[in-house]
Amino acid sequence: MKKAIVIFFLAVFGYFMAITFLSPEFEADRNRNGVKDFYLEKTVSDLKTANTVTAIVVNFRGFDTLGEVTVLFLAATALGSILFKKRHHIGERTVLYPASTIVGSGAKLIFPAIILLGAYVFIHGHLTPGGGFQGGTIIATGFLLMLISYRNFSISHNILSVIESLAGILFVVFGFMGLIYGGSFLENFMGTGILNDLFSGGVIPVIYILVGFKVAAELTGLIYTILHEKG
Amino acid sequence: MVGTPVFLIAIPLLAAFLIPLIGMIWKESVRIIPGLVLAYMTVLSASLYLFILENGTYVETIAGWQAPWGIDLVFSPLTGLLATIMTFMGFIVWLYSYRFKSNVEFEAAKKYFIFLMLLVAGSVGIVITGDIFNQFVFIEIVGISAYALTAFYTGRNSAEAAFKYLIMGSLSASALLIAIIIVYAQLGTLNMAEIAANIDQMNVHYRIIAMIFFIIGIGVEAEIFPLNGWAPDAYTEAPGPVGGAFSGIVVKAGIYAMVRMMFTLFDISGPMKILIVIGLVTLIVAETSALRQEKLKRMLAYSSIGQMGLVLVAFGMGTKAGVFAALFLMLNHAIIKPLLFLSGSFLTFNTTEKYISQITGMAKKMPVVSVLFALGALAISGLPPFSGFWSKLSVLTAAADENLMLIIALVLIISVIEIVYYFRVINRLFFFEYDESVSVKPHKPGFNGMIALFILAGLILLIGFYPASVTGYLDLAADDLLNTHQYIDKVLQLGQSIIQ
Repeated sequence: MKKAIVIFFLAVFGYFMAITFLSPEFEADRNRNGVKDFYLEKTVSDLKTANTVTAIVVNFRGFDTLGEVTVLFLAATALGSILFKKRHHIGERTVLYPASTIVGSGAKLIFPAIILLGAYVFIHGHLTPGGGFQGGTIIATGFLLMLISYRNFSISHNILSVIESLAGILFVVFGFMGLIYGGSFLENFMGTGILNDLFSGGVIPVIYILVGFKVAAELTGLIYTILHEKG
Repeated sequence: MVGTPVFLIAIPLLAAFLIPLIGMIWKESVRIIPGLVLAYMTVLSASLYLFILENGTYVETIAGWQAPWGIDLVFSPLTGLLATIMTFMGFIVWLYSYRFKSNVEFEAAKKYFIFLMLLVAGSVGIVITGDIFNQFVFIEIVGISAYALTAFYTGRNSAEAAFKYLIMGSLSASALLIAIIIVYAQLGTLNMAEIAANIDQMNVHYRIIAMIFFIIGIGVEAEIFPLNGWAPDAYTEAPGPVGGAFSGIVVKAGIYAMVRMMFTLFDISGPMKILIVIGLVTLIVAETSALRQEKLKRMLAYSSIGQMGLVLVAFGMGTKAGVFAALFLMLNHAIIKPLLFLSGSFLTFNTTEKYISQITGMAKKMPVVSVLFALGALAISGLPPFSGFWSKLSVLTAAADENLMLIIALVLIISVIEIVYYFRVINRLFFFEYDESVSVKPHKPGFNGMIALFILAGLILLIGFYPASVTGYLDLAADDLLNTHQYIDKVLQLGQSIIQ
């Protein structure tokens, strides 16, 4: 009886799934009434931002991005609180083997380049593909490389938490400045400049740089916490 | 005005980022700031609610882009009422746990209060947002705070409960994302009002599959039957006040998301009473499970799930009376269940197992808390003259209007079951002798905790003796939910600005 019910439900579900995924009308322009044309037009005319994706992420749907940044903050904090009691001291951690000389010397060489690349990606987020989330992740991989290459490489948890708090606070403060000077929360209240300039897009690059700092600090903190977890 | 609806989200987020910084200098601030923020949210929410009752629904745009293009927050008689209840319950839970956690370390306390604050903020966000992807983001915020709060005691059992919740929550969030993708691929918009206006253009197969994914996605937070496996474990293992916060705040947000989806997005008024079926199954399974529980908090958790089933049954009727009854049940449950959880966690303070047998004869040692617990138990099982009576009565009359005799019979049978398992606890509390070998050591309840309990008990008595004090507001909220056209009209035009 139980099995029959389950099979019945799965069959109904499977039928609709199959129809949904077997009939995607590829040729048809499905989003006739959608928001996409408006975004493409306003990104260039109003926001003067070369990268439409960034304009959508930071301005049109900036509130979602604030939420996602909070999700990341919560996840990092939650992991920290769950692993709080069992943490090794600096120098002793779960990595079993020391890194080889090649990795060690290579890491030193490549570390500044990774940081530079990450910074470049989030500073140019409004011009080229990429942005705060991607740039922040690249920077965190640089720290990951250093952490697995050198056993006694340590980062101050306080500094990381100050950076992530300040970036988060400034994000919300810029939102409120939009409310005060523009009329609604997160509104682009700064001059937008000329399309394709580094200093263009008003508040968009500023917020994306803050996101970059925040993501970099949070992911580095996460990696650091996990590496120092007691096995 | 003290602010606009966006302050309900932005201020807690700002505070959450600030607390780690201020906490480095002034340790006590990690307890005080969340309380101030929650108090501010309550005041703001209540004053906005009174404002919109006079001036009509307020729609706030974010980032300067009007409704279909940008994200909007809708503060209507329904969402305003729910936001006010949630923020108020958040404040009560904070008040209760202000000293409750005084014995834990600074780091743990800091995280506890950050998570609690964002749990409330996220739930309010789920309710007031007018955009399905934004709702998804808030469901994520609520989810992650809830997993972390469940794992607060970092023991084996709490880790298991949190992990179970995490797996179910993440899977359901993926389902929700798929539903959002299907809707966006079909209609090219994420705005609820725009979707509601254009839902007819969507292919019916896509509509059904999107609805199935929506139900799976939201069902975990709303605790509907096959998706609520996390709830009993999480309620049992989480700290006592967190159980109160889950049942008073998070579940309400889940139910709201479900109902908004069913009533506004996919207009399902008609012969397909899917909510009644979901609700009835949830109700019967949960209440019969509650009957067999040996642990106090587990029993309360199942009772909470059962009440949510009843709420869905009432919503499922789709009539004005049904929606009114459902909202009345939600309001009462939001007040009574936290009272039971909070007083229950005082009674079982000195035990980790929290068996019902361990509180035998506790009324002799902790009379006030026991009386408050009994008050909550009587109220939730629907005995007059307490508040639960009126909400259950309104469910019955709503069902009678629709000639749903089976539902009336089932609800009455379920009420008997509820009385049986609650009276079992009351019997043990009051009419058994206190026995050192079985019962736990009594714990002296804190001052602030008692204030929180008395506020909740006072509200139960107030609504019980003067139900007219709330029915007017609930009536407006029910009208608001059922009037989809008005919602679409309001959202798709620019609302008036209240900042000037």
